[in-house]
Amino acid sequence: MEVVTSPKCSTTSHADGACSTASIWQDVLAQAVAGELVAVLNYTSLAEICEDPDEVADALEHAESERGHARAFTAEGKNLGIEVPINVTAKYWKRLRTAFLRQIDARDFIGCLIIQEVMLESFAVASYKRVGQVAPGSLGGTFAAIAAEEEEHIDHALSILRAARALDVKGFDHKVHELHIEVMGILAQMFAREDGDGHCELCHAACVKQSLPVVGLTSSELRGASLQHYLRTLDMLGLPGEMTLAWAAQLPV
Amino acid sequence: MPLDFALIAHQESWRAAADVLAVLRGPGRAPIPDVDLKDIFPWFPPRAVCHIDHRSVLGHSVHGIYIDSFIPPDRLGFEHRRENIGRVRDAAACAIKAGARIVSLGGFSSILIEGDSDLLPEKGETVFTTGNTLTVAFVVQGVKKMCALQGRDMAEATLLIVGATGDVGSGCARCLAPLVNRVILNARNIDRLRSLAEELSTGGATVDIATDLQQLSMQADIVICVASLESPSLLLGRLGPNAIICDAGYPKNLSPDDVLEGCTVFFGGLGQSLGGMRFEPDVHRVLHRHPFPNVGQGCVMEGMVLALERRFEPFSQGRGLITPERVQEIESIAARHGIHLAPLYNARGPIEEVTCETEGLADEHQVAGAG
Repeated sequence: MEVVTSPKCSTTSHADGACSTASIWQDVLAQAVAGELVAVLNYTSLAEICEDPDEVADALEHAESERGHARAFTAEGKNLGIEVPINVTAKYWKRLRTAFLRQIDARDFIGCLIIQEVMLESFAVASYKRVGQVAPGSLGGTFAAIAAEEEEHIDHALSILRAARALDVKGFDHKVHELHIEVMGILAQMFAREDGDGHCELCHAACVKQSLPVVGLTSSELRGASLQHYLRTLDMLGLPGEMTLAWAAQLPV
Repeated sequence: MPLDFALIAHQESWRAAADVLAVLRGPGRAPIPDVDLKDIFPWFPPRAVCHIDHRSVLGHSVHGIYIDSFIPPDRLGFEHRRENIGRVRDAAACAIKAGARIVSLGGFSSILIEGDSDLLPEKGETVFTTGNTLTVAFVVQGVKKMCALQGRDMAEATLLIVGATGDVGSGCARCLAPLVNRVILNARNIDRLRSLAEELSTGGATVDIATDLQQLSMQADIVICVASLESPSLLLGRLGPNAIICDAGYPKNLSPDDVLEGCTVFFGGLGQSLGGMRFEPDVHRVLHRHPFPNVGQGCVMEGMVLALERRFEPFSQGRGLITPERVQEIESIAARHGIHLAPLYNARGPIEEVTCETEGLADEHQVAGAG
């Protein structure tokens, strides 16, 4: 995939820094857009298995919100004069979507929430926050604002999940662990120092992780911050910290 | 199961951190490469690593948890103080949430909070102790024992305390000043040094103070090093012949290989439980890095001792409040439950013969050395 730049790069003053690092932001935005669009698909699928009309409406509202995020990221790319590629079937995202669809097939509403709201959103919120701190101009503002939005809508899901756990602590924790092994395992591979599994199918050339320090990021801090956010979310659900620590320690590196 | 106590500590080296994670990863997974370990470890939010059952020789047990604050071993310096206080606060919140009745603050955790317990989060029913009184007890006992082993007359000795104005340092000074010929107090803060010297002098002790460690070190027969020295050679290379050096810092980094012939280094502040402990998951071989079983830092053992005694109270709080009477009190409580001074050793290994009682301790009961 090529980096597509426009003449804007040489004329837009606020984004001068961003333009010089356009290929990096292109790859970062490509991951963000893929994540948001997979979330759109996930929430749309979720709406199909919800029995409560309010939950259906919630899921569709979330899908629309995630669609808005994808649009905002794409627009930021355009501001920088880059075209953000869209590929929701890129390797890791495809595996994550497949894991989610397995819960849909089982009509497991709670399993779906665990994957989307606890696991994927943890990584999104923590990563967006870090990117928001270093990305120039409106790009940074957009990442920060979307991180805040994602964080806001997690509260409702957490209250549902806490109630589910209260009904069957052992069964709930077992389910989280099973999903952790699959979904967090994929995310851990995605965020690993090196792409052991080959190209992610989103970066326009070589893996962007090695280039992130150029824009003030590192793959290790994105991985660490995401893992921390995830563990804190599990804490909020009431899962024992020593158990989730062991789970985190067992993730692939 | 009710939680009688919690211990808050951190790993003293990356090797120790790697070993803890290796246990948590389990035998079927390759260890985390060092480079990834240093990336991942600092991001872990403080949380329990293992459960501990501690048995008294009187027969009853207490149950607790070990909470790691995940302070990176290479970020223990003063410049990271603010960040580390945040970690200890989070670890304290973890102990409170778990319902621990008493919490011991090991290693840097106690150093960070001993000056201002208001830094702790809302505590509810949970009480906190720095654990420093039992550390002082074991340091003092160790110095006395080493002097006795070497046939030294303490009444003739000059004692140098490095890090004298801290909680442990000042406690050691108060306990030992009446027993030695002369005390040299070393620390960075001259005002605090003067204040402590005045207090000890009023009690009849002969006291000198020095902010420069090397100024008076040659005159010392006994050295208690409470602060972990960044450059141990600055001290160890400038001691008189036949000096006894108690390394009571954390991490312990004074090596017998660095001292002059005739000097003796030993690790101080460590206790040993005759009742024993059990860890789940079994991290004892990782946390336990002593040549004897059931050995731990006095500061972390204090919370367990108080839990065994059902005295859920902030026994050690604040800085500079440790008196010989309080030291004697915690010593008596610890002894009642079978917790005594650990056999003396240093980086090379044991430096005294162990007793039959110590040798016979069941291997299944081990105690953490962290903190």
